[in-house]
Amino acid sequence: MGVRRRVGAVAMHPSSSSTGPAAPGPREAGQVAVLDRPEVDLPWVTIVWNDPVNLMSYVSWVFQTHFGYAKEKAHTLMMQVHEEGRAVVSTGTREKMEADTEAMHGYGLWATFQKDD
Amino acid sequence: MATTFRARKGRFTATWDTGEVAVVLHLLRLTRDFVAPEREATGDPFLDLVAGLGGTADPQEPSDPALRRLLPPAHRTDSEQAAEFRRLTEHTLRSRKAANLATAITALAEALPEDGDHEPDEPVQLALDADQARALTMALTDIRLILGERLGMTTEEDSERLHEEFARSLEGEGEMDAATVQQMAYYDFLTWVQESLTGAMLG
Repeated sequence: MGVRRRVGAVAMHPSSSSTGPAAPGPREAGQVAVLDRPEVDLPWVTIVWNDPVNLMSYVSWVFQTHFGYAKEKAHTLMMQVHEEGRAVVSTGTREKMEADTEAMHGYGLWATFQKDD
Repeated sequence: MATTFRARKGRFTATWDTGEVAVVLHLLRLTRDFVAPEREATGDPFLDLVAGLGGTADPQEPSDPALRRLLPPAHRTDSEQAAEFRRLTEHTLRSRKAANLATAITALAEALPEDGDHEPDEPVQLALDADQARALTMALTDIRLILGERLGMTTEEDSERLHEEFARSLEGEGEMDAATVQQMAYYDFLTWVQESLTGAMLG
């Protein structure tokens, strides 16, 4: 489809310490860990990445077939993948995004899931 | 020469040459063998379920780039999450792809004349039902992804360059080797077929 490479665009590794122990340091008695918000509240996303093999018509068909998107929405998302190199194709719980990602791989599209940022 | 697919009374019809069906069948079978799980199904649903749950299997990211493209990492930056996803899903994904390829193989094999003795340019009528059409267009994607990776088609520019070289070689010019020309011919034919079938399915 588009021109953006799908290999090598590796972003900075995000911090994975949000659930780990706090850094050593003084901690006042009675301090409330208000920053420890549960991650389940945060929406996750499924992203489809551009590649030079998959046909534009096929990608539209996949979006219509798997997600049940209307023709126009499927076309818009497909064009976004094609022109911008990627598109968020679904949003929801982590479990749902993992299922969508696996389904996209079944169709031969390269999808990833991540926390929305 | 193959005709384009048309949607007709719930079926997707086209006329191909016997030789064209044979080539696509051959590529479908190679792809099925390539992507099928390394642990074959035992036929025992319970054993297969246990095998599919992982157990001793801890699949690594495939070293073959074509297989890696069919079973890609599911997380861009977090290799631990990608590995966990692969451990949980890869066996099922490979099984589903193999089953899908098997459906496409059956659909095309059924269309061939039964006597097995036919000229390569003999016409074959294809009339796929919706499930067969869906299986075939997905299977064509898997073959094209493998061929694309083998041909070094990583970017849009790679694709354009390969097609220009292929076009020159068809006119007896250029430096593309015979094996690559053959792969490009397969790739182009499969692209044409998939475009035609997907177009008919989109209506």
